[in-house]
Amino acid sequence: MMTQRSFDERDIHLALDGELSPEDMAAYQAWLETRADMRALSARYASDRALLRETLAGLIDEELPQRVREEAISAGRDPVGTRRTTLRRLAAAAALLVAVGVAGGFWAGRQALNGGETPAALDVVGEAVAAHQVYAAEKLHVVEVGASDRNHLVGWLSNRVGTKLVAPDLRAEGFDLMGGRLLPSGGKAAAQFMYEDPVGERISLYVAHCVKGENTGFRLFEDESGRAFYWQEEGFAYTVAGSIPEERLLGLANLSYRQLLAGR
Amino acid sequence: MEKKRNGPAEAGRGMDGKRKAIVGEIPGLRRYARALLRDADAADDLVQDCLERAFSRLDNWQTGTSPRRWLFTLMHNLFVDGVRARKRRSELVAGAKLDTQEVTRAPEQNGVLDLQDVLDALQEVGSDRRAAILLVGVEGMSYAEAAEILGIPTGTLMSRVARGRQDLREILDVARRRRILKAVE
Repeated sequence: MMTQRSFDERDIHLALDGELSPEDMAAYQAWLETRADMRALSARYASDRALLRETLAGLIDEELPQRVREEAISAGRDPVGTRRTTLRRLAAAAALLVAVGVAGGFWAGRQALNGGETPAALDVVGEAVAAHQVYAAEKLHVVEVGASDRNHLVGWLSNRVGTKLVAPDLRAEGFDLMGGRLLPSGGKAAAQFMYEDPVGERISLYVAHCVKGENTGFRLFEDESGRAFYWQEEGFAYTVAGSIPEERLLGLANLSYRQLLAGR
Repeated sequence: MEKKRNGPAEAGRGMDGKRKAIVGEIPGLRRYARALLRDADAADDLVQDCLERAFSRLDNWQTGTSPRRWLFTLMHNLFVDGVRARKRRSELVAGAKLDTQEVTRAPEQNGVLDLQDVLDALQEVGSDRRAAILLVGVEGMSYAEAAEILGIPTGTLMSRVARGRQDLREILDVARRRRILKAVE
């Protein structure tokens, strides 16, 4: 009899993705019969995959935007020229405007073609980045109230800022809460939560008052002093700032956004 | 071995044949881009950039390579470049709220997730793992094919698939719990 290979959790994926040889597949099935936990896991991964396939299948039926269609039809018949590049930018801008219109004028009159932002929004994000620069560089007094006193910290800052805050749990992305502090912002109170990862990178979440009714999606802010993702909602501006790669920062902003939303 | 869901390799076809083959891949490219980026405009930009590059480099397309593999490789490289390019302009990255308005939400049934929930959940998976589970799980590629597109060894791809699914499982659990909470409210 041939030596049978042993199986583990990884084989669930191989089996699911058709990467097991027929001989292995039979042995795998026999193994699975003996392992209720692995059967459950296998069923779960199969159903997650089905969920992805089913929900994403709908995307295929979405109409192809004009600009992409034009590309498909016209491209290749001549070299990519500046004329079409210009047209393309215009088409993209037009598509953006249409999207904005459909969405009910979220950015109406603000998100201009030149990418203009309202001065108020830039003020707040500028404050957030500046506050991050100052306190993230601090060695001894990074925070006013430490994470060991989390409930007190969150309660205190919520009261002072005037909205129900949560200090997002960013451990899934490798960042631990260090604590937070109260800061002034345009005559009102703002809160900063500071986080640190195992190699000492720091990021902060800054929450300040902003103009009511200016709701936005995520925006990226970058200048020589730092990088931040920010969004505005219901009279408050939220900024996640840090000098880490954009994608990682976006992940952290996403995670924060969801927890703040869930905590309200 | 590669799975060929999208027709045979482009042996001996002329330019028009190539063009046609490329156009045939657009739906899959769009689905992949959208699942990768979530934002519809950003996704279509990526597809368009990919098509521009493809059409301007038809000669680089080796006969024998499936159009799918060639195009997905082009798009992956652009996606990686795009992470850098995005830094130059302030833009709507996630568009979570814009999209929310356009998408009809499923009725508040306990734990039922809709397209937007799934796109959101995918965004929480790291992009390397996200690409791996999408290429294999949704686009139906073999490990060898996906590894080649992503420019990584098959073993790495394998572990990204496993870890990506594990991440997604946990994220979906949270999303479902949130759905249930919403339904109860």
